[in-house]
Amino acid sequence: MIDAALLLLRLLLGLGAVFLLGYGWVALLVPRLRDFRTLERLAFGFGIGATILTLWMLALTWLGQVFSLILILAPPLALTGAALLLKKLLPRRANGTVAQAFQPAAPPPPTPYTVWDWLFLGLLAALFLFAFLRAALYPMWAWDAIATWGCKGKIFYQSRGLDLTCIDAHNYYPNLLPLLLSYLYFCLGRVNDHLAQGLFPLWGALLLALLYSFLRRMGLNRTRALGVTAFFALNGTVFIVHLYIAYADLPLAYLALAGVGLLYLWFTAAAPRGSLALAACFFGGMAWCKYEGPPLAATVLLAAVLTLAWLRPPDLKARFLGLGIPLLGLALGLLPWRLFAALRHLEMGADHLQQLYPHQLLAGCSYLAAALADPFFFGFLWPALALALILSGRALWKSPLLFLVLFVAGNLLAILLAYGLAPTSAEEFPSYVRATLDRLLLHITPVAALIVGKGLKDLQGRPEE
Amino acid sequence: MRNWRRLLFWFLSALWGLQVVWLAWYFAPEVQDVAWRLAQDRTGAAIRQEDSYYRWLLSLAAIIPPQASYVFLDNYQAGKEIEARYHLAPRRHTLLTPDVSPGFLFYTLCQEKASYLIIREGDKPWESADAVHNSAGFRLLPTPGPGLIFQVDHTRLAGKFYD
Repeated sequence: MIDAALLLLRLLLGLGAVFLLGYGWVALLVPRLRDFRTLERLAFGFGIGATILTLWMLALTWLGQVFSLILILAPPLALTGAALLLKKLLPRRANGTVAQAFQPAAPPPPTPYTVWDWLFLGLLAALFLFAFLRAALYPMWAWDAIATWGCKGKIFYQSRGLDLTCIDAHNYYPNLLPLLLSYLYFCLGRVNDHLAQGLFPLWGALLLALLYSFLRRMGLNRTRALGVTAFFALNGTVFIVHLYIAYADLPLAYLALAGVGLLYLWFTAAAPRGSLALAACFFGGMAWCKYEGPPLAATVLLAAVLTLAWLRPPDLKARFLGLGIPLLGLALGLLPWRLFAALRHLEMGADHLQQLYPHQLLAGCSYLAAALADPFFFGFLWPALALALILSGRALWKSPLLFLVLFVAGNLLAILLAYGLAPTSAEEFPSYVRATLDRLLLHITPVAALIVGKGLKDLQGRPEE
Repeated sequence: MRNWRRLLFWFLSALWGLQVVWLAWYFAPEVQDVAWRLAQDRTGAAIRQEDSYYRWLLSLAAIIPPQASYVFLDNYQAGKEIEARYHLAPRRHTLLTPDVSPGFLFYTLCQEKASYLIIREGDKPWESADAVHNSAGFRLLPTPGPGLIFQVDHTRLAGKFYD
């Protein structure tokens, strides 16, 4: 019993260090930390901390260093601390025009929680109680968890480095998640895959915290924001199952939501200063999290460029230049691993770029439509999104909502294209789609929930034009 | 809010309410299992111990040194090979299918300098059974379970070249 409590404590301390590192980076990147609520700082901090920490572990491998807990944690924490100290000591520059871009609204007086608030919070609490117990009490079992992510995490811990010599399991995949799992094993002092799986409900909770925060910043009151958050979490089985299987899709969905949400706030001039720098970290995280990350991030940037070109805001040129910041983040997340893989002669997967199979493209359309409409996967979230878009009317074409819609639509098209290019046999194709479609949709579903939230806000009155 | 929009909102909310009830029903068996395991204190590693395949892999891990290589004969789709790879890591792992010819099996064992050959007894017979049983390079180890393990002396195998 004492041993179990100590292990849990070590896990919590390990996760706490990731939060601390990320929190430090949030404080470094934004001019005024108090522009962000505590919930936002924590939700942003964990993703940034995980990205920085695992990229540092990649750097350690590059430097030929053997992993140890001290070597993994001490240098990034010390450097972040020193940078924060330096920031505090340096005289602040005048904020000028940038400061006028965002004026945080005075915090509204605290309102009592309604019955609906308690109901939504109760539903979410019940969900996470189940998800945490289901994740942390059962050993790692799901296919990709033991075939790829968990297996690599275990090997990196055992070999004290990013060693891929003993396995051949998509070795070119990025390693944010395996390295984070191996870091947790270092914290625990052993491979304990069931306790380390507690990471995933935490990641799900942070995703919901981000979704709630973005909805609040979009102008929804507490009850509506909580309602949409619960509507997202408790709709269909995909999100719930991903809370307790150790797949990289939930972290990628979190990173995508953070990147897209921050850019959307930037479009609506509701983003606190420093939001683009934070978004850059999440773009880097996307590239470092999963093989689908860079194309996902590219669709975000493409949607942003198209939206700017269509809406033509007065500061168009500055806006275009601003997009260079997340682009830089994407490059910083992508290049270290690509260079490492090239230098180590790791074979990159390129089998998806051969030729287009039109029959697969057509079959993919019907599978995709079925997955979006079938309540088993995402409940009524996608039908609700369709309704929200219909109700938004012409406002869609005249507001930054277009950015969210282009991102979601672009990814649906990208999924279809990927199926059209997939080199599978006719017999294998249905099972290939079954094994991948729900996960690919999970990456963009939190953003779909943002659009539903916007639609709910517009239900109160005419959509903004 | 216009009336029809309000109606639409409540209609969708009612559908969602039904969805939440359905989810509770759908996940009820898992919730029951979690509660039962908590009450019985049968969690974590104890769950793995319930699986005979895992117990067999543990006995293999005790035999195969961590720096050794092995060839595993099974269908990837069965999902058992990935379990073996996970539990036997960091031992170097190579997968071949049961219908692999004796020539290619011997060649791979030589190329990978594999010291062990593991065959999971699945639904398909393995093509190289006779060749392996008749070769002096293999020694069947007595580890009862859902498969066979042979110690391989690849220096005694004729398989340096495969065309």
